[in-house]
Amino acid sequence: MTSTNGRYYAGCDVGSTTGKAVILNETGILSTAIVPAEIDPEQTARKVLAKACENIQGLSGTDDFSFLVGTGYGRNEVPFANDNVSEISCHALGVHSCDPSIKTIVDIGGQDVKGIAIGDDGSILEFAMNDKCAAGTGRFLEMMSKIFRMDLDAFSSLSLEAKHAIPVTSQCSVFAETEVISLLSKRKAPAEIAAGIQASVAKRSFTLLKRVGIRPKLTVTGGCSKNKGLIMALEKRLRMDITPLPVDPQLMGALGAAITARKKGK
Amino acid sequence: MNSQTNSPALFFEDLLDDPANHLIESAADQEKIPIGYTCSYVPEVLLSVEPLIPVRVRAPHVPGTEVADIYLSSVICSYTRSVLELAMDDRYHFLQGWVFAASCDHMRRLYDNLKYLNPPEFLHILDVPHRQGAVSLSWYTDELNMLADRLSDHHPVRFTHEAMSRAVRERNEFFALLASIGELRKQKHPPLSGTEFQAITLASLVTPRQTLLPKIQKFKESLSGRNGISDYRARILLVGGQMDSLGFIRTIEATGGLIVADHLCTGSLPAMRPVSMNDDPMQSIAAHYLNRVSCPRMMEAFDSRVEEILKSVEEYSVDGVVIEFIKFCDTWGIEAGLMANALRKKGIPVLCLEREYQLSGEGQLRTRIQAFIESMGK
Repeated sequence: MTSTNGRYYAGCDVGSTTGKAVILNETGILSTAIVPAEIDPEQTARKVLAKACENIQGLSGTDDFSFLVGTGYGRNEVPFANDNVSEISCHALGVHSCDPSIKTIVDIGGQDVKGIAIGDDGSILEFAMNDKCAAGTGRFLEMMSKIFRMDLDAFSSLSLEAKHAIPVTSQCSVFAETEVISLLSKRKAPAEIAAGIQASVAKRSFTLLKRVGIRPKLTVTGGCSKNKGLIMALEKRLRMDITPLPVDPQLMGALGAAITARKKGK
Repeated sequence: MNSQTNSPALFFEDLLDDPANHLIESAADQEKIPIGYTCSYVPEVLLSVEPLIPVRVRAPHVPGTEVADIYLSSVICSYTRSVLELAMDDRYHFLQGWVFAASCDHMRRLYDNLKYLNPPEFLHILDVPHRQGAVSLSWYTDELNMLADRLSDHHPVRFTHEAMSRAVRERNEFFALLASIGELRKQKHPPLSGTEFQAITLASLVTPRQTLLPKIQKFKESLSGRNGISDYRARILLVGGQMDSLGFIRTIEATGGLIVADHLCTGSLPAMRPVSMNDDPMQSIAAHYLNRVSCPRMMEAFDSRVEEILKSVEEYSVDGVVIEFIKFCDTWGIEAGLMANALRKKGIPVLCLEREYQLSGEGQLRTRIQAFIESMGK
């Protein structure tokens, strides 16, 4: 796949757990990539962009982009980016470009969870995010899945098997771990404990969303959007459907960054 | 936004690294008497009467609050915890007394615990009315007279008409100079950053003012040779309570938000207004501190606080307001939401930032500030 006028615009979302890249031309998405994060955010950015470039003939590296925008927690560590934009703006713009009828986003990433209310033009109306605590984030779910000796996909599937959820009341990751181990030692059903963990993350997202206002339609972005058990728990807590996106929701930050790059690079 | 890395303001920043700086320690060596206070309703001018020196109590670089956590409940703010922690480590040994105001329950608990755990040689708490008006003024004047009596009983200080008038005159001159520097921030390209201004303001709260005066004059003169700051994205008014972390302000400015005005407990534009004197100096001082507009602890003054902010928004060409408050702060926790709604109704973008006393989670702070600036289309 190539661009007809030879102009390529890229968005690079350097997250705490994964790096995401989207490359656009004037008409749409040409290539995307997701890679696990390296220790060095710059290396993550280089790696994910190189992977996204592999799908485009004649595009060898970052020098070939007409404009590149960095986003995510490592956005300031992408030295070859022309500009950087906060992931909150990027997720709003990315989602708006996919479905303008969506007004509320919950972005659940590796170390942050954010509630975002978006305006009719894709701008931010209001946002709220967790403080330094990792409760309710992907990191929390990773820690919990390790107790079950599972990866996140298997953990998600396990939680979907539950008929009831056993409440996990500790918000703190460390205390929650102790609570879960204690429940397992009492021979409680692992699926029901897993569902309880998903419900606790959903509850945390819900309280954050209440701060920005919940207006339909609502969607979930970030890596945790792939956790079906969490999506189900969120729908139950919100008492509303979560609108699916036509593009991988984990890529929304990078997509928003790429759209910004296209605006600025024209 | 570029910070002034070789700024003469670094002199003031250095004074803020520890609870005590070398200037206050050398003043104490020269028979001056440093008295600590924790609230803007303790009239610092009264603690400026010779040979007293007022010192706003800070807890910079507190490594943790393990000991304070034993004595304070989990819903006490981290400023209170940090001060108690350092007090337990005898880091305020240079103070020859503490004066509190019963401004909030957290400060009352700090007073109680200090008295119980590590009693200073002089400890006093003022009962400050929550309302303004003639009755409150009479009450507050009585409170100040009681404080003056206790201080006189304990330390070689006399609160004569002449001594208090002199303290007021020197205070007014000092803050007039500081306010004149603050005025420069109204310019489209201000010659100084908010970090620099706060460094000077905070230094003036913890250092003998007369020692600082020539340094500040020199700093002001140096500003005329500077190119104004132009590489900012938005002009920010910072509103909130205790804010003595330059790191917090620097992070906001590094993200492109130039702080051009402040309404803070620890450095506020309204607080710099002169004290007007009449025949009764104690009542004049009481009237100034009781009636100035600053703290949400005061009932029936919300509209005035909003008005003051709106005025500053206009005068300083502010793009957006950041309201910061320390987690578990009862007064600001409630005020922030109400204030944000009131300002948004006037079309002013507002960001509420709940934080800890010590700067932490810098990455998330940057994201919040940057998103706020972007949401303003800047």
